[in-house]
Amino acid sequence: MSKPLVKLSGVSTGYFSETVLRNVNLEIHAKDFIGIIGPNGGGKTTLVKAILGILPLFKGRITFPQGKVRMGYLPQISAIDKSFPITVKELIGSGLKAKNSWFPQLTREQKKQVSNLIAEAGLSGQAHKPIGELSGGQIQKAFLSRALINEPQLLILDEPNTFVDKGFEKELYQWLRVLNEQMAILLVSHDIGTITPLVKTIACVNVDLHYHPSNQLTEDLLKVYNCPVDIIAHGPVPHRVLKEHGL
Amino acid sequence: MSEIFTIMEYAFFRNAMAAAVLTSILAAMVGTYIVSRKIVFISGGITHASFGGIGMAYFFGLNPLLGAAVFAVLSATGIEWVSQKGKVREDSAIAILWSLGMALGIIFVFMTPGYTPNLMSFLFGSILSVGRAELYMLLAFCLLAGVFFWLYLRPVVHTAFDPEFSKIMGLPVGFFRYTMSVIIALAIVISIRSVGIILVLSLFTIPQITAMLFTRNFAKIIPLAALFGVVGSLAGLFSSYFFDIPSGAAIIFFLTLQFLLVKGLVMLLEYVHRNHS
Repeated sequence: MSKPLVKLSGVSTGYFSETVLRNVNLEIHAKDFIGIIGPNGGGKTTLVKAILGILPLFKGRITFPQGKVRMGYLPQISAIDKSFPITVKELIGSGLKAKNSWFPQLTREQKKQVSNLIAEAGLSGQAHKPIGELSGGQIQKAFLSRALINEPQLLILDEPNTFVDKGFEKELYQWLRVLNEQMAILLVSHDIGTITPLVKTIACVNVDLHYHPSNQLTEDLLKVYNCPVDIIAHGPVPHRVLKEHGL
Repeated sequence: MSEIFTIMEYAFFRNAMAAAVLTSILAAMVGTYIVSRKIVFISGGITHASFGGIGMAYFFGLNPLLGAAVFAVLSATGIEWVSQKGKVREDSAIAILWSLGMALGIIFVFMTPGYTPNLMSFLFGSILSVGRAELYMLLAFCLLAGVFFWLYLRPVVHTAFDPEFSKIMGLPVGFFRYTMSVIIALAIVISIRSVGIILVLSLFTIPQITAMLFTRNFAKIIPLAALFGVVGSLAGLFSSYFFDIPSGAAIIFFLTLQFLLVKGLVMLLEYVHRNHS
């Protein structure tokens, strides 16, 4: 097996002195598609922030055995101030690093890159609109484009299916399938039923992390993993999760 | 009309006009940041805390604006620190700072022997008495803030909008947030001379919300807010002279009137547009 992109070894982290995640071990390989599930407050977002390097670790370490990893991040849209005066074009451009930090403007090529992605995402008509004027689906597309603009090796999505209509949700999942052919994806969701057919493996996070090397999980296993999440069964048998779910 | 030209012959009035224009431009840049980040209450706290510095400076016989600047910068960076560390409720911290600043100001002014003639001008502003030295200081700070915004508008906007993502992008979020805190504090203190502690915040918010009736693009709000600020301030300044009313209050009154008129006009145009299409 090739070296992982990211390796978490015995990671404990949290906020101030409160431990939210304890002794977490996880490896993320290229083209992995890991669903992160767990109860509210269980540490799903904390795990994401630790991997992104914006949360100090109390214990353990996070390494990148293949060298520096380009990461794309889609935050929870509920945490975003949608009334902030920023246009779609600016938002997507904010995912690119300026080449000159003393005069941090985008180069002509970078601006072209932004325009191309806007067109690809089908947001050309919205490029100069402030994000507050977009629909739920368009906002997600804009933020996803920001996450993708630097061509990440690892794409991290935190609850991407909240505040979007079912039509866009389907489109989003189709995008993710295609994207997974080029990059590893970490998908945080409370809706285990919807994501299981999409992901390849599952990590249950509730202070501890239990890695499950397939996308099929039973209620009994969730109990063993101490991962009390609501199961919305989409398969024919209510207590089995979730083999026959069509997207 | 001839009377307008007559008063413009007076140096004090020309100084006042220059102060109104420069203050409006400075407030347009800094105020757009304040309104976008929704930190109007924080800025109110900084403004009122600065009164403590004015009182102390009076007591120790120092320049009151220097005292105000020290207090404002310390409060601004203190509030930013509290908000980043999140250990104390931010709104409570601001309220404490707000009232403590005013209390300290009153105590020190009360303890200062003799009469403090300029105190009212700090509370309500006195644009007609702005001197040449103050004007140069205002111009210098305006240029400094202008260059900073011109060079760093992109990271300033990004770190204000989404500090977490900016951190992931490797931007020095702390540097930009603290630098903006200091710029806000100093811009407020410098503008106190024109419109006073009690009214200064309006100059940093009303032209911006008027501009936001037309655009929601950060970079475009700034020049538009400067235009509305200049028009409202000059209208207030001339009225204060002709009707013999306090200048700071007249400026704020005209800025608000301008906002209401523009808002009404926009609503009317929208109504006409809806009914015709």
